[in-house]
Amino acid sequence: MANIVLDQLGFAYPGASEQTLLPLSVEIKDGEAFALLGASGAGKTTLLNLLSGLLVPTTGRILFDGVDVSAQSGSERNLAQVFQFPVLYESLTIADNLAFPLRARKAVNGFSAADIASRVTKIAGELEIENLLKRKPKTLSLFQKQLVAIGRALMRPDVSVVLLDEPLTAVEPRTKWQLRQSLKRLQEELGVTMIYVTHDQTEALTFADRVAVMADGKILQTASPQEVYEHPAHEFVGFFIGSPGMNFVAIDTAAPDPMYAASGVDKSAQRIGFRPEWARLESPSMNGPSSAVHWPARVTHCQILGTQDGLPVGITTLASEAGELKVRGAINMGVGDDIKVTVDRFVSFSDEQYIATHYAQSSTGQLANSVGDE
Amino acid sequence: MAINKPYNNRAWLGVLPVLLIVSFSAVIPLMTVVNYSVQDILDFNSRFYVGLDWYRETLQDPRFIDAFGRQVLFSLSVLAIEIPLGILVARGLPKSGAWTSVLLILLAVPLLIPWNVVGTIWQIYARSDIGLLGVGLNELGLAFNYTSNPTHAWLTLIAMDVWHWTSLVALLSFAGLTSVPPAYYQAAELDGASKWQVFRYVEMPRLGGVLVIAVLLRLMDSFMIYTEPFVLTGGGPGNATTFLSQYLATMAVGQFDLGPAAAFSVIYFLFILLFCWIFYNSVMSDETVEDVVEDRADDNETRHHD
Repeated sequence: MANIVLDQLGFAYPGASEQTLLPLSVEIKDGEAFALLGASGAGKTTLLNLLSGLLVPTTGRILFDGVDVSAQSGSERNLAQVFQFPVLYESLTIADNLAFPLRARKAVNGFSAADIASRVTKIAGELEIENLLKRKPKTLSLFQKQLVAIGRALMRPDVSVVLLDEPLTAVEPRTKWQLRQSLKRLQEELGVTMIYVTHDQTEALTFADRVAVMADGKILQTASPQEVYEHPAHEFVGFFIGSPGMNFVAIDTAAPDPMYAASGVDKSAQRIGFRPEWARLESPSMNGPSSAVHWPARVTHCQILGTQDGLPVGITTLASEAGELKVRGAINMGVGDDIKVTVDRFVSFSDEQYIATHYAQSSTGQLANSVGDE
Repeated sequence: MAINKPYNNRAWLGVLPVLLIVSFSAVIPLMTVVNYSVQDILDFNSRFYVGLDWYRETLQDPRFIDAFGRQVLFSLSVLAIEIPLGILVARGLPKSGAWTSVLLILLAVPLLIPWNVVGTIWQIYARSDIGLLGVGLNELGLAFNYTSNPTHAWLTLIAMDVWHWTSLVALLSFAGLTSVPPAYYQAAELDGASKWQVFRYVEMPRLGGVLVIAVLLRLMDSFMIYTEPFVLTGGGPGNATTFLSQYLATMAVGQFDLGPAAAFSVIYFLFILLFCWIFYNSVMSDETVEDVVEDRADDNETRHHD
């Protein structure tokens, strides 16, 4: 297990005019569950290939426990990888598949046959696949195969880091959560450094201690899932994470509505963003706190997602002078109703950069559980 | 089953065209041979039923037994060289790029040459008086002459067959190798697998299917080889390179011994069938059958535990 430092790491394909990965620096702590989250084309696969040794960085360095490994192969870095689809040795039994990385390195690590057997038993026990050990891969379901692939990645007790490249892609939705839980539990129990690459925010936010959100070859923000959700450092982060994402409202900087200043919006802010659950719907006649951002609006659509205390809750879509807004909460209005949207909490941005998060007086602390509940 | 299917035997008529074609293309010619093999044919009007006499005679004929031994030795030799060499060539080919196409086309060239042309090419190439290879070897101080030395004749024949057919094994293996996803190589590299282990555990399982086809094709073809040795050595020197089909041709076409030749043909055919059957079944029982049986046992076990 290793502490990983990416130091001004950048990459451009030979002959390409643009850099695929702009120089970025990040530290991944020993034993941390780290996620790289981004849409396709964001550069996460390039970063993964740099980490696994398939690509050599054009600028910067990769340090494993302080040692520069930029020029080393993946095998020299002693890392393991789980791929999008299960990669197993088809002619070997599951037990032999698990034992393979230890047997292949026997000369280096000096594992005895007994060491290997006990490690196979331990890992198979952790993953609850003891009953599959004698079978061949082709008789297993995709889910079981991917469990074995994960098991093989965790076999080496001294593995520096386990890279997971969208490991749940091939698994059917019904069993995804199960595999994710096994993975998370193992990560915690074995204390392995894991880097999980995905475009799925639920996977990233539920798995990782820290998430790096990537777009256009850059890391926009590296923080805990809650931090990323509540204090997005970049508009894209607010938009990309959450379902639906943040509402953004532009501020006319030439002649700003005095309401914004009164509500504590930073003078340099060009936009404010707020999560659908950071706003309330009230009857237009009600007087909210004067220091809150609010607009009159009309309900255009209601999407019921469930009930709470017997009342329907979900996403209400509204048309307002601030544009289309989405608000999460109790649905007690109908389409066409005129109401008032009051924003209790928001984030200010200037030129897509984060400035500040502002809380209205009354409504903080109720948001912690909203992460990843889609 | 609650589905009521109408029973109508007229459907058999649909099979009739196929039956007719197969009868004329395979069944009737084969049965003619079987028919000849149990008769002594002197001329069209005088023929006698002799039962299995020709079969007994053929199987006891020392020339048949010798030719059979040579045939087995030849097939095993070319298989032992062509299969590993073909895999080696396939592994050496680049996986993609412009060179891949060029090399694949070059590899395919020997397969496109008519068989008796191949025989002629090597007949001239290996001649010790004017052939590049033959003269070259003699210049090197080796007294090479395939028309007088049986070992030299054998070596020339094997070299020719390897030249002619290794490409087939290489092309089939290449197709098998390209079906290995890159992630498998990467995973093996990260696991610390040696080159041999990559070949044994990543590539071989994927090659299994195409290699079965390659071995079957080469086994059948080499066991039936006729044209090239006929042109190259004519079965000589002496009978050193007389294989089964050449001996058969001498009997049937040269001496017009239709009865014995027919019995020979049937035996020859049954041997090829037998070899292929044994090979195919031994390969398949190693892999699939065993696994399926094991899985069923496993499933039953788990079900009982549940």
